[in-house]
Amino acid sequence: MLLMKQLGKVFHTGEVSTHALREVDLEVQEGDFVSVTGPSGSGKTTFLNIAGLLEVASSGLFLLDGENVNQQTDSQRSKMRNQKIGFIFQSFNLIPELNLFDNVDVPLRYRGFDAKERKRRIEQQLELVGLASRMKHLPSQLSGGQQQRVAIARALATSPRFLLADEPTGNLDSQMAQSVMALLEDINRQGTTIIMVTHDHGLAQRAKRQILIKDGRVSELTAAMHETLHHEPLHIVSPVSAEHSAKVAGV
Amino acid sequence: MFELGPIFRALLRQKVGAILIALQIALTLSIMVNAIFMMQQRSSQMARPSGLDEANLFYLSNTVFGQNYNHEAALADDLRLIRGIPGVVDATQINAIPLSGGGWSMGLQHKAGEGEDDIGVAVYMVDDHGINTLGLELIAGENFQLTDIEWRPAASVSWPARAIVSQAMAEALYPGAYQTALGKTVYINQNEAIQISGIVKTLQAPWNGWDGVERSMLVPFQMENRNGRYMIRTEPGRRDELMPIIEKALAESNKNRIIRNVTSLEDTREDSYRSHNALNKILLLVIVILTLITAFGIVGLAMFSINRRRRQIGTRRALGATQLQVMRYFMLENFLISTLGVTIGAIAAVGLNIWLVSKFELAPLQPQLLVFGVLALYLVGQLAVFYPARKAAAISPATATRSV
Ligand SMILES: Nc1ncnc2c1ncn2[C@@H]1O[C@H](COP(=O)(O)OP(=O)(O)O)[C@@H](O)[C@H]1O
Ligand SMILES: [Mg+2]
Repeated sequence: MLLMKQLGKVFHTGEVSTHALREVDLEVQEGDFVSVTGPSGSGKTTFLNIAGLLEVASSGLFLLDGENVNQQTDSQRSKMRNQKIGFIFQSFNLIPELNLFDNVDVPLRYRGFDAKERKRRIEQQLELVGLASRMKHLPSQLSGGQQQRVAIARALATSPRFLLADEPTGNLDSQMAQSVMALLEDINRQGTTIIMVTHDHGLAQRAKRQILIKDGRVSELTAAMHETLHHEPLHIVSPVSAEHSAKVAGV
Repeated sequence: MFELGPIFRALLRQKVGAILIALQIALTLSIMVNAIFMMQQRSSQMARPSGLDEANLFYLSNTVFGQNYNHEAALADDLRLIRGIPGVVDATQINAIPLSGGGWSMGLQHKAGEGEDDIGVAVYMVDDHGINTLGLELIAGENFQLTDIEWRPAASVSWPARAIVSQAMAEALYPGAYQTALGKTVYINQNEAIQISGIVKTLQAPWNGWDGVERSMLVPFQMENRNGRYMIRTEPGRRDELMPIIEKALAESNKNRIIRNVTSLEDTREDSYRSHNALNKILLLVIVILTLITAFGIVGLAMFSINRRRRQIGTRRALGATQLQVMRYFMLENFLISTLGVTIGAIAAVGLNIWLVSKFELAPLQPQLLVFGVLALYLVGQLAVFYPARKAAAISPATATRSV
């Protein structure tokens, strides 16, 4: 359902060109659970953004559900995001001024469901993540783990076939991370295809399939390679990523 | 389909900026509406007809300095000379100029005697050419006859037997039945009888701020006056050409006086309403400036709140909002803020108007004007927020994952 061929992404900042992705060939099947690991700045977010239609590739082919996304208009991609894709972010990205109900409501309104249908879906999803009793609470009144659960409820409310998560547990302690991971596994079991970027090696291993991005190149991780990586952890922290995580932690 | 509910709830959590802008809109609306109201008042005052053929009229002063000046003969000579010049329709000596701000007023009363109620009226002293010169419309009775004209020495206090009044004066004397004024005798100067021999449709008094400005009368007098005035009516389009010609002809015909202040009635009207015009311009400027300040305030608040919400906007885009839906969000948000503003503003506008009306005895504000003001401010808001909203729509969906 997702096919990338010779996909590349170049960022131009002034006179500097950054090749964030190079010659990516990848196919993801319906129902898969793919984890993406790799050092900081290697292109994981870029990959996820292109997969989720938040950014457009500079070169190569990208088919999502057989549609050539590069040729679509911004408005068509927006509708496709709304209908087929759910997003989970490292910093949850809940809208601070809206209570949980209204937060989950956001993509449903863009979808154009009527009020009754929206209410049904919101209640159902908040029920699933165990926060139905907090519908009128603001995000700031919840713990990080709870906020991420709301974000998952929001991502799933439109019944997307695709769930994309960029370090969904990056801002959570390990116990909360475990419960969010369990929730994602649950969702995957029900048929939703998941691509998850993570720094957490243990969580990456729990996915059905693991890929590694390094210097913008994508490679498949076999179990054997994994063993080595496990002992040469990915989280050797470069100065850049230290700064990055410090900022994130400050949010 | 619209997101008014959540937009409203989100606004409630970030209300300070929105309330300040709403108050600014309210202030602008109340001042705008009342300023337009005041402008309309002035404009309608300026639009009142004087009753005169203003475009083709001018006048001049005849200042006598010669010692043995025969006023009566000189006046007859002057009028004959002026009326004989080609292009002149008619001319008369006159004691006061409509719209000029200076003139005579008397009171007319139904019964003779001191202490009886009288009604103020502006007095124009003219001869039998007066109506034709001024271009008045006689709607009842008849013009003065040559035999009606009396010579009025400088120190005289007596009045002629007849008068022609304006319709408004007739109406003031005989409310609801102005026609019945014709032929009636009233009293001037408390106990001098004077008969109303004609009614003209409109003839304004010289004082445009007087609430009796429509009340006036013509009396058949030729005056001995060391500083007299002649009113001259020309054929259409010939006034400017004839003004210097007549000035010169008069000056040369009799060296015992000087001709001064040759002025068109249009200039007199302009002078008369100069402060009205100036005030209207100031009010217009106030409206424009206030509206601009409000518009910039809206732009500023929108830009600020959009910059603060960049990530949220990116997230909305990631969740499937089209650029149009993002724009619509901010336009609707502005609509809500404007609604609060115009609601407060409409109440304030009516309040301010009630105060203005009671203070200055004006007619109250027309509801249409308020509706216009409300619509205008909604429009200003939507136009002002358009550019920031487009900026918001241009925020990349990737902002959701990129910004920290
Ligand atoms: N908008 C951008 N403009 C310029 N360079 C960018 C932009 N986004 C990402 N990059 C660069 O692309 C590379 C890959 O970034 P990213 O995909 O965020 O990596 P990761 O998520 O693996 O940390 C980095 O070198 C980053 O600096
Ligand atoms: Mg990243």
